[in-house]
Amino acid sequence: MLALLAQQVPDFVRPDIDWHAAAPELTLLTFGALVTMMDIVWLEKGRKLTSIVASIGLLATMVPIITLAVDGADRSMFGGAFVVDDYALIMKAVFILTGYVVILLSTNYIAEGDYWENEYYGLLLSSILGMILMASARDLITIFVALELLSIPAYMLATWRKRDLKSNEAGMKYYLMGVFASAIMLYGMSLLYGGSGSTLLTDINESISGPGDPSAVVVLGIIFVIVGFAFKVSAVPFHTWAPDTYEGAPTPITAFLSVASKAAGFVALMNMLFVGFFGRDDVYEPVIWILAALSMTVGNLIALRQTNMVRLLAYSGVAQAGYMLAPLAVAGDVPDSALAATVGYLVIYAAMNLGAFAVVIAVARKTRTAEIDDYRGLFHWAPGLTVAMTVFLFALAGIPPLGGWWAKFRIMGAVIEANTAAGVVMGIFVAVNSVIALYYYARIGVKMWAEPAPDDDTAPVRVPVSLTSALVLTAAATIAFGVLPGLVGEVTKVSLLAGVGG
Amino acid sequence: MTDFLNDWGLTAITFVPLAGALVMMLIPRDNEGAHKQISLGASLLALALGVVLLFDFDYGSAGSLQFVTDEKWIEVINSRYILGLDGMSLPLMALTVLVMPLVFIYSWNHIPEPGNGKAFLILMLILETGMIGTFVAQDLILFFVFFEVVLLPMFFMIAVWGGPNRRYASLKFFLFTLFGSALMLLGFLALFFLSKDPATGELLRTFDMRALTDVAGAGIVRSSQLLIFGGMFLGFGIKVPLFPFHTWLPDAHTEAPTQGSVILAAILLKLGTYGFIRIAIPMLPEAAEAWAPWIGLLAVIGIIYGALGCLAQTDMKRLIAFSSVAHMGFVMLGIATLTDFGINAAIFGMVAHGLITGMLFFVAGSVKERYHTLDIGRLGGMLIQAPRLGWILGFITMASLGLPGLAGFWGEFPAILAAYQPANGIPVETFRTYMVIAAVGTVLAAGYLLWLLQRTAMGEPSEEFADDPNITDVSRIEWIAWTPMLALILVFGVAPGLIFEITDPAVVESLNNCLQLPAGCEGVAEATQAAFGG
Amino acid sequence: MELTTTWYLVLSVLMFSIGAVGLLVRRNPLVMFMCVELMLNAVNISFVAFGADLNDVGGQISVFFVLVVAAVEVVVGLALVVAITRRRSDANADDISVLRG
Repeated sequence: MLALLAQQVPDFVRPDIDWHAAAPELTLLTFGALVTMMDIVWLEKGRKLTSIVASIGLLATMVPIITLAVDGADRSMFGGAFVVDDYALIMKAVFILTGYVVILLSTNYIAEGDYWENEYYGLLLSSILGMILMASARDLITIFVALELLSIPAYMLATWRKRDLKSNEAGMKYYLMGVFASAIMLYGMSLLYGGSGSTLLTDINESISGPGDPSAVVVLGIIFVIVGFAFKVSAVPFHTWAPDTYEGAPTPITAFLSVASKAAGFVALMNMLFVGFFGRDDVYEPVIWILAALSMTVGNLIALRQTNMVRLLAYSGVAQAGYMLAPLAVAGDVPDSALAATVGYLVIYAAMNLGAFAVVIAVARKTRTAEIDDYRGLFHWAPGLTVAMTVFLFALAGIPPLGGWWAKFRIMGAVIEANTAAGVVMGIFVAVNSVIALYYYARIGVKMWAEPAPDDDTAPVRVPVSLTSALVLTAAATIAFGVLPGLVGEVTKVSLLAGVGG
Repeated sequence: MTDFLNDWGLTAITFVPLAGALVMMLIPRDNEGAHKQISLGASLLALALGVVLLFDFDYGSAGSLQFVTDEKWIEVINSRYILGLDGMSLPLMALTVLVMPLVFIYSWNHIPEPGNGKAFLILMLILETGMIGTFVAQDLILFFVFFEVVLLPMFFMIAVWGGPNRRYASLKFFLFTLFGSALMLLGFLALFFLSKDPATGELLRTFDMRALTDVAGAGIVRSSQLLIFGGMFLGFGIKVPLFPFHTWLPDAHTEAPTQGSVILAAILLKLGTYGFIRIAIPMLPEAAEAWAPWIGLLAVIGIIYGALGCLAQTDMKRLIAFSSVAHMGFVMLGIATLTDFGINAAIFGMVAHGLITGMLFFVAGSVKERYHTLDIGRLGGMLIQAPRLGWILGFITMASLGLPGLAGFWGEFPAILAAYQPANGIPVETFRTYMVIAAVGTVLAAGYLLWLLQRTAMGEPSEEFADDPNITDVSRIEWIAWTPMLALILVFGVAPGLIFEITDPAVVESLNNCLQLPAGCEGVAEATQAAFGG
Repeated sequence: MELTTTWYLVLSVLMFSIGAVGLLVRRNPLVMFMCVELMLNAVNISFVAFGADLNDVGGQISVFFVLVVAAVEVVVGLALVVAITRRRSDANADDISVLRG
């Protein structure tokens, strides 16, 4: 084996490193290490500081992302395994900002929960590091490493309330499903490697997208990889871990999983579909179509009979994953519109879903539960939270002029633009599912506004500053995306096809 | 000043109510007087702007859009911020800005349970922006956004301030209308992606309603046209509401607070019919022609069904709601003829129905306030106890049943007449049958309305209410709110030309496509396809 | 009989299937971890076999990454088991059922 290595790599030269392109990852790595070091050195004394350092770290990471965006040039390293383009930058920004909001949500929750909190932020930062790496990954091994880097800390975060059996169970389920999924995905990757002779996505694309039928190895490889990511994005029928994990995990982590982790799964999936499998739409389109249709329908139908807010949001998240998958089911016909639609949906979904979880956390400060019945009469004791929740829920339902309508509109636009029977039927699926979803969102709206509070308990709830700022940020973003959809529209006009000459 | 009016007048009138709502959000809830003043002030400002626009409108060219604003909005999908006013939208916009201040005046001492006037008035102002915007938008996406903006406020008005069954009614209203509009949006998108320039055969890729009206579906194969029209039909038809999608309406009307019912009847329902004449028919004339007999059929079923439904009601508000179904049936029958005459009648019918049914719901609200019930069996003798209220009820029931000389007549009678000779290519016999059925419907309408009047206004007051001191006659606030509407019902009845002359040029313009061909639209799509070379 | 690449791949498929089935039917977390290891090692065999067949070093390199990550995964998994057994005497996936699943 060494002989083989020596024969293939006669004299090793360090590959060129574009430090600017890697700056976001390096910055975040530095701060992640710093948070962990602070914990080791200062122990309890560092407690107050870690969350502040972690949020400064995230904001500092935004700086190179912005300079790279201003610079505008596409950069590529390690023979194309690490690429910085507009698409990667947008997704990195989404991950960083999501992480920032999650820290805002966590500050009081973790501090008041009597848990050792320093590793919490270290793990959170390392998970986000995996995500921003994922946005640039264009190579099977890089994607795999990024995926594990973001998942493994997440398993531990889900189990954070370690004295609570629910949280143990949440982490265990998430862990088992997660490793199972990554094993399946890895197996698919090994088949793709065998079928194409390279781990680089552009090379894979060149090798498998030629005319004629694909080989069985490649077909299996594609399906295994998609199934692996279907777990990650909690698409039906691979969603069963989501509701339990969401309910048992600390709520800020639930928000993190349902937004950032799901987005990371989509990013990896899109890298695969638009770079690796492009041209093999005869294989992946039917698979994605079925996953999308099942996810939105099953997710919405099960959400109808939930009594717990977090579980409801979990199933609504399953359905939302279905909407996001819908344009990918026509990715071969209208690649640019499909990519823009899904990226746009991810951006808007991040704002509205984080906001909804922020309200859940705020309400639970008084009620200590997330039962939907405890939202009855919310208007009488927390009018501000009620207005915010109304905004987020109806945005998730896709009612203009709130953000969600534009997200759904782009989805419908992409599937109709494809002008195929599959596309039109998918459009009708999206339309009908929007109505089903509206039922459970609107029902909560009625409970909050039009019913009396249980036991006439209208003592107000104290919402800490960090939570309030998270609410204001997400609500402002949700409304701005809806009123000025051009914002998201322009930013998400991205393409991944430069690499494959499509 | 005139420049400002030409460029930004419509923007101003659309967003003045919203600006008022934003100001109100900053004022604490306790200061209800300020909220009432600001909401009324904002709606009066919109009315004033509306009057200015009415005077500035060039009636000589009512067929073309005026006060056009055309700015970039969402560039990625080539959707623009286009507003414009022509003879078709002018009466409906005027109706909106007229009715809303009256509703705010009525709200002065009629904030329904459970109070919180701030939220209630803010919702109504947002509603006003949505409704005006829908009538002046000239871009499909802009239209869609305004069309949907009205949903949330109306949902909350019913859900929070409604009657005992309000949760069910509000959800039903919301789900029905959203279902229609989701499919309608798919139709809009298909129009966007499929429409071609008839001269060059190139894809248009525009949401500009003017351009899409000009090409009138060119380049879209017939089967797709029929499907797209189907999506729009559901979106607009549910809003109208057309039988069999009407079931949300009686529930919503019965449970909504008085103001909600008035707005719903006077304006919201017109969004659907307006969508038909502004979007569905001019943009897809061939599909409209194919769908027309079915729309006509549902319209006449609605007329008869609504009338029979009325006869079965014991609740005054529910009865008026069913009469709405019947009246909107006449409007839809007029539209289904696809003729200049029929659609003009339909627009008149919309305005007349808005005024008359809006008034009926006002009166019903006042009856409820005095008697604390709307059960027709328990009411009676209103002419003795509250004679002015009784006479007003008499006046508007007469208007509603289509008495010549009052506004209702000019909505119904020409619509029936138009069915005698529908547009080219539409089966004449079918529509003549519809005409006969619709005529029967007018007789039934006279029946149930007179029956309502007889049981509530005439006779002796029932024992239950005979000495009830709550039963007073029309109050000053009510007079202020009602007089303009009563006057207009009379004015439009005597001088229907006021509306017909404005609407006619615009209607002619909108029908200026293959519907004018001697043989109608059948086969036009195929011919265009052949010309483009497949 | 010569051992071609196909034989290695068949071995890999068998190992992967045994691992996957084991993960789904067994309820002892430790056994489930072993099944995961089995699946990951099946992946390794497949990578190495393809790498040798293609005469490309990428396959072998992938194996290093998979090995390292697999070790990390098991460490975390064992930590979870420890956390659970501290609360309960035995760790059985069926007994962990506070949540509705």
